[in-house]
Amino acid sequence: MKIIQTENLTRTYVVGNSTVNALRGVNLDVEVGEFVALMGPSGSGKSTMMHLLGCLDTPSAGRYLLEERDVSTLTKDQRAAVRNNRIGFVFQTFNLLPRLNALENVVLPLLYGRNGGDMNQRASEALERVGLTSRAQHRPNELSGGERQRVTIARALVTNPALILADEPTGNLDSKTGAEIMRLLVELCAEGHTILMVTHDAKVAAHAGRILQMQDGEIVNGRPASVAA
Amino acid sequence: MSPLNTLLTALRGISSNALRTALTTLGIVIGVASVIATLALGNGARAAVNANFRFLGSDQIQIDQDLQLKNGQMQAVGKTLTYEDGLGMASVVPLVDRAEMTVSGSAKLRYSRQTVDLTFQGTDAGALLTVISQGQVQPVGWPSNKALTPKDFIGQGRFFTDAEVLDGDAVCVLGYQTALDLFEGDNPIGQTVWVNRKSCQVIGVAAELEAVSVENRINTRPNEGLFMPVSFAIQNLFDTEPWVTIIAHVTDESKMEQAKAEIATYLRQRHDITQGPDGNYADDFHMTTKQDVLGAQQQSAATFSLLLTALAVVSLVVGGIGIMNVMLVSVSERTREIGVRMAVGARSRDVVAQFLLEAVLLSAGGGLLGIAMGVLTIPIAASLNQGIALLDPNSVPLAFGVSLITGLVFGLYPALRAAQLDPIEALRYE
Repeated sequence: MKIIQTENLTRTYVVGNSTVNALRGVNLDVEVGEFVALMGPSGSGKSTMMHLLGCLDTPSAGRYLLEERDVSTLTKDQRAAVRNNRIGFVFQTFNLLPRLNALENVVLPLLYGRNGGDMNQRASEALERVGLTSRAQHRPNELSGGERQRVTIARALVTNPALILADEPTGNLDSKTGAEIMRLLVELCAEGHTILMVTHDAKVAAHAGRILQMQDGEIVNGRPASVAA
Repeated sequence: MSPLNTLLTALRGISSNALRTALTTLGIVIGVASVIATLALGNGARAAVNANFRFLGSDQIQIDQDLQLKNGQMQAVGKTLTYEDGLGMASVVPLVDRAEMTVSGSAKLRYSRQTVDLTFQGTDAGALLTVISQGQVQPVGWPSNKALTPKDFIGQGRFFTDAEVLDGDAVCVLGYQTALDLFEGDNPIGQTVWVNRKSCQVIGVAAELEAVSVENRINTRPNEGLFMPVSFAIQNLFDTEPWVTIIAHVTDESKMEQAKAEIATYLRQRHDITQGPDGNYADDFHMTTKQDVLGAQQQSAATFSLLLTALAVVSLVVGGIGIMNVMLVSVSERTREIGVRMAVGARSRDVVAQFLLEAVLLSAGGGLLGIAMGVLTIPIAASLNQGIALLDPNSVPLAFGVSLITGLVFGLYPALRAAQLDPIEALRYE
């Protein structure tokens, strides 16, 4: 099954009296279990692509099918529901809530969904998967950068989403910690998770199964990572 | 998000900046406290008025002499309201079936070598019926459901009769305590006492009495006094003709205004009061009914509540704007948090609920503090207002409800602003 299918995905912004074409009709298919890296210089449209695929934004034209369901015409609240249980976000700057401890941060998506049962149990399992059980009661400012990113990954995993979107997941980490995080993402992919990662670091992108180059709002090539390396 | 989790989230939100939160609620606290305290003042005043005018029966019109202050003394205006004015009233005024005249004054009462200073009451033979209808005093320990008759008020002997009032006989009835003070245990019945320089035979002693309402028991002394026929008192205890107070008993309670008009016509005729060029009468008397007292009281209460409403509105608007301000600051400071919550699935209503609940919790907390502060200030308010301040039980839920509504109204705009944030922009916010 295709997790992502975009048809002529287009996004234009009006800035003053000029129109910026951030995305110019992108066609992209991602299969279940793929690990795809999206590369390109700034202004190439990576972030816009990420926002559209993450249902944080709606396209100006074209269609976006997530798990074969058209999500490009959903309302704001419907998109919130899709983000809540089908998509997990991993941010460069972690975006953890500073007043909540690790476990509470991981529970957060469950609170916004229709989740019966023991939500803390599910959050604990997600923390266990990223190896942070012992740090569950610590607040983000008591955790190292790598630990924070693990909490973010646990938060992305906890709803068992169709797609994990990682935006420069190693951008704020030293290379050793970044490598650990990449190893974790590769493991998650091996366990069946579909991951789409935005990065401008070729070494980081090399962990992906497929690398896409973006330029001027278009995907200019698409080839297996092994060929690129 | 479930209501419980929304509540926990909101509580966390406001507890994160405790000092700022406390300062924000100050406006609400003061507003609510002043509402509670001022309502207590109004309520106390109302209770005091009720206590003072409860004696007037709803079928009675009290007619009083108009008085003015002259040379340091209260003096009658125009002609004196006399015993005779009252005596003829029932036969001339159709709606009045009985008029009761009373005079009172101070006297020195003497028996043997004992003297007592007291206030005497000159009344007619039906005075005890009036006492019963007024419902102010009762024999000590009287069961509340048991009807009273005039003889229940007499401990020893009897009250005076219509014939004795008509003849102006020198007879009197002593208060329970007065009899004890004067006779020190001897039997007073049949003895002669001196009222100022007039002799008078004791024919009865009142039963031991108490105020019906418990709170009035401290400041009333129903057992000290002297009752005598009003005619005797007028003839013997005053240097000049005294003015009397007339209580007119009206046959039909629904025609009190008509009865007042009839009484006015009757008295104007007797006092030679004619219509002035402006169409008004320069009356030398005034009439009061229970309805008049209640009306005046309701009017002052209405004025009072208008003032109060203005005070409450101003302070709560100030408090509400304070809450709106701090919520706007909070939304702006927590833009990134809002972005994160939206990214992981918070819908608009989740965000609105969170911030609205924070605002309501703030104002409700302020409301509770204000209620506590208001209740604590009531004794202070009372000491500044002759002891008149009484917590109005309705004011507590009212003030709390108003503080909740203030939070809702002034929290709505910041909450809607939070919900309208674009998640992408919010996540980028530094």
